[in-house]
Amino acid sequence: MIDFIRFDYDRSLNLGFQAYIVFGENSERNIKGYLIQAKDARDLREKLRKADGFVGVMSERVEVNRYAVMRKKVEAILDFPERKLDYSTLKLAKEKDVLIEFSLSTILNSGRNKRVRLLEKLRKTLQVVKKLDTPFILTSGAREFYELRKRNQIYEVFSYLGADLARASYWAERLYRKFFDEKYIMDGVERI
Amino acid sequence: MISLPPSLREKKRHVAFELISEGKIEKEELSFSIWESILKLFGEFEGVDFKITEFYDNRGIITCNLKDLDKIKIALTMIESIEGKKVLPIILGVAGTIKSCKKKYMEVLKDADSANGV
Repeated sequence: MIDFIRFDYDRSLNLGFQAYIVFGENSERNIKGYLIQAKDARDLREKLRKADGFVGVMSERVEVNRYAVMRKKVEAILDFPERKLDYSTLKLAKEKDVLIEFSLSTILNSGRNKRVRLLEKLRKTLQVVKKLDTPFILTSGAREFYELRKRNQIYEVFSYLGADLARASYWAERLYRKFFDEKYIMDGVERI
Repeated sequence: MISLPPSLREKKRHVAFELISEGKIEKEELSFSIWESILKLFGEFEGVDFKITEFYDNRGIITCNLKDLDKIKIALTMIESIEGKKVLPIILGVAGTIKSCKKKYMEVLKDADSANGV
């Protein structure tokens, strides 16, 4: 199981994750992710040229997220309160095998009325994700130590919002195997 | 109301938890924070009742009804700070009786040491 975080965590506590991908900071203890924040498609295209490793995209605009999903280098669409996704983006994410992140810190850091709107949006998105069987990952998205949570606790919250936990575990396990299992090539294909 | 026979009583669950915080947390402060979290998340109509059965050294047990277990867990998870002190709530586990809850989750932690990997 893998968690996406935004700071370099020293792994002093066992929170039920086997590995962490750090976005936006350098890391020697964890896997370093490549974070791209793009204003428009052109900006994204330019930033993707320099990108390498595990690429995560953050954008407020639906068009940019849709474009990002279609690019081969992009592995995940990262979560933050202003992120916007539509039906076609989620459908494309399924086809192109791009992970959609749902992070707990997004919920934790939103205020009263914003949180209500965010949860409503999240419920609908999770419903579509379930229908289309889009790859998704439930993470803490922590920006500091006190935003980290145990894996079970994160899953509990998202389960209440309608997430399919069995699928969430499947996608997280698959991502872990991509990084650490030398035998793994793709679903159903393994080196013997 | 007269006490109900055991078959009609609500089933209880005991949630063992630990708080990793910037400072020491008092039981009253924690209780207030959990109530606040429950009311914020579920409101008065969907709210749940609970009792902090034990709390010392930032570790404790919350007792609640079985049907409200998920809500208590979520409310505990969503606590970010108590009286301005940032906290990381960790749910250690759930048990059916206080005795087993203490035995499984609280006593084990007493002897915990980073050297033996617990």
